[in-house]
Amino acid sequence: MAKFDIKETYLRFLRDDPDITMPVAAIEALVQLLSETETSTSAELIQTLKEASAELKTSVDNSMSLSAGCDLFMRFVLRNIREYGDWEACKGHLVKNGRLFAERSKAARKTISEKGLAFVRDDDVILVHSFSRTVLALLEHAAKNLVRFRVFVTEAAPSDQGKRMAKALRERGIPVSLIVDNAVGSVIDEVSKVFCGAEGVAESGGVINHVGSYQIAVLAKNANKPFYVVTESHKFVRIFPLAQADLPDTKKMFHFTVEEPEEQNADKGLSPVVDFTPHDYITALITDLGVLTPSGVSEELIKMWYE
Amino acid sequence: MSSQNRGDREIDIFVEQFISQLKRRQLSGSHAVALATAQLLLRFVSAARWNHIDSLVKDIRALGVRLVQTAPKEIACRNIVSRVLTLIREEQHGHKAENGGLSGSMLGLLEKNDKKEEVLDKAALRQANRDIRPYIIEGIQDLIDEVANIEENIAKMSVDEIHDNQIILTPTPASETVLLFLLKAARKRNFTVLVTEGFPNQIDAAHNMVEKLTKAGVEAIIIPDAAVYAVMSKVGRVIMGTSTVLANGGCLSSAGSALVCATATQHSTPVVVLTAIYKLSPVYPFDVPSMIEIGSSAQVADYSDSEIVEGFQVFNPLADYVPPEDIQIYNTNIGEFSPAFIYRIVLDHYSDAGNL
Repeated sequence: MAKFDIKETYLRFLRDDPDITMPVAAIEALVQLLSETETSTSAELIQTLKEASAELKTSVDNSMSLSAGCDLFMRFVLRNIREYGDWEACKGHLVKNGRLFAERSKAARKTISEKGLAFVRDDDVILVHSFSRTVLALLEHAAKNLVRFRVFVTEAAPSDQGKRMAKALRERGIPVSLIVDNAVGSVIDEVSKVFCGAEGVAESGGVINHVGSYQIAVLAKNANKPFYVVTESHKFVRIFPLAQADLPDTKKMFHFTVEEPEEQNADKGLSPVVDFTPHDYITALITDLGVLTPSGVSEELIKMWYE
Repeated sequence: MSSQNRGDREIDIFVEQFISQLKRRQLSGSHAVALATAQLLLRFVSAARWNHIDSLVKDIRALGVRLVQTAPKEIACRNIVSRVLTLIREEQHGHKAENGGLSGSMLGLLEKNDKKEEVLDKAALRQANRDIRPYIIEGIQDLIDEVANIEENIAKMSVDEIHDNQIILTPTPASETVLLFLLKAARKRNFTVLVTEGFPNQIDAAHNMVEKLTKAGVEAIIIPDAAVYAVMSKVGRVIMGTSTVLANGGCLSSAGSALVCATATQHSTPVVVLTAIYKLSPVYPFDVPSMIEIGSSAQVADYSDSEIVEGFQVFNPLADYVPPEDIQIYNTNIGEFSPAFIYRIVLDHYSDAGNL
């Protein structure tokens, strides 16, 4: 049998279902691994899973989000082995219900839009940064409930995911003004609140998200506008970054040079793809567990790991 | 049959009376409103007839919506109705909502709960068939006791909160809770209280508070509202009451308190808010102006002064919204909490079943 390629499996899940989040794809990949490997002892099994998630975390760029899924899954497995002792039944449940997790995570988005509905009010002008499925779900739900609001969407360079967001919102009948990232400061006074998604939520309650979120949060705080993070709880990660440099993925050195690069956009490729917004800038997190203050995140994580 | 009809009529009359009292503001202030609402619901549940618990819940919810429409700014009224609905839901399922009202934990994504739910549903069905009226009534009685005996529990902390020779400032002279708190501390501590005048609505209350404090041997001084910034550098602690604590950790308090709290934050002076749990509300301050009641302008400009009345618009807001950033701690009857933790206590006390 060929060696199971966890990275390829993970990427395949992401490709096949555009609605799936990175942590859920990671969980699905680990479940797939379980179903394809025979393990005789629980220790061997834990070892296999540990190796696979370590491989996944190191081989994929921007692994913060998927590591939330790996950790959640490991925790679940360990808990079931240690506390209930019926690992076999649990494995059966996991393998059998592989697709169920993806469905549940989509259901989480629905819960979020219900819990967050009251945050979208008539006449609001909402600033959205980059593309986020949770924010999209929430705004779509609000529009369906006949809330009339308008949205500024940032282009979100270098990925230009904002254009995708603007298109998706317009398709749902929501009036959108697409602005360049540099224009946030000039529109912030018109904005009533800021929504953004998250790739991962750190234990402090700060979020890791598409690059540019941090500067928008700083502007929002300066202008006294609420900054809400709309995210699923399976993106909570046990990391505690204190500064941008603490993110594993921004460790690569910036490239300073006096030479003009030959290719036109060569510099663009070197800029970080995510940044970290510290908890001080976040008004609240709208999650499937309820509306939490940033300090609520650590409480949920502690509950999961120590109870 | 006829006696039952009479029972229905009696409760209807009682409800109408209650509503007109709310409308005329004969009933006002969060404590009085909370107590009266709980007593009304007690009578309502005792008098109600229902085949299935859902119809009772429906009736109470309808009543709640009516009360809230009558007095949208008396949030204590809404809180009590929500608490009672949550309580009925808990009785119905025979257990406290798991995970303190949160809709699951992070591991919920992976857990197999379909089977468990089914079992629960069966248990719920059995529970629903038993007569839970006595349990509901008992629960409401407990709630009434909680509301009635609240001040004692809050005042317990007063000696720890106030040091000897400290200068305390309070912007809410009308608050009974603050008065009791200070009086309790006065038995063991020697301190000075500055009371803001609270023009125009609270002048009488301020005089009243200072009089009572002075009688108890506390040095109490009334200061004009404009002097708050000037004295803040000498103040050791701001202690205030509130009418409603909101789910984001902010609160509504008497007009002028937002200014005091902002000034205190500027001077790094701690702000302590005294509150009972029944004042905690699941409401978020999305639309602050709609939560603030506007009082009579005659307090500011006399109607007999025709020049002013004709020439100006006069506003007299009765309340202020204090944002969570300006509050250090909430001192409640069940302990002390930071504003960032308030959402959790709200989730513990209210479930989705309590939504009106």
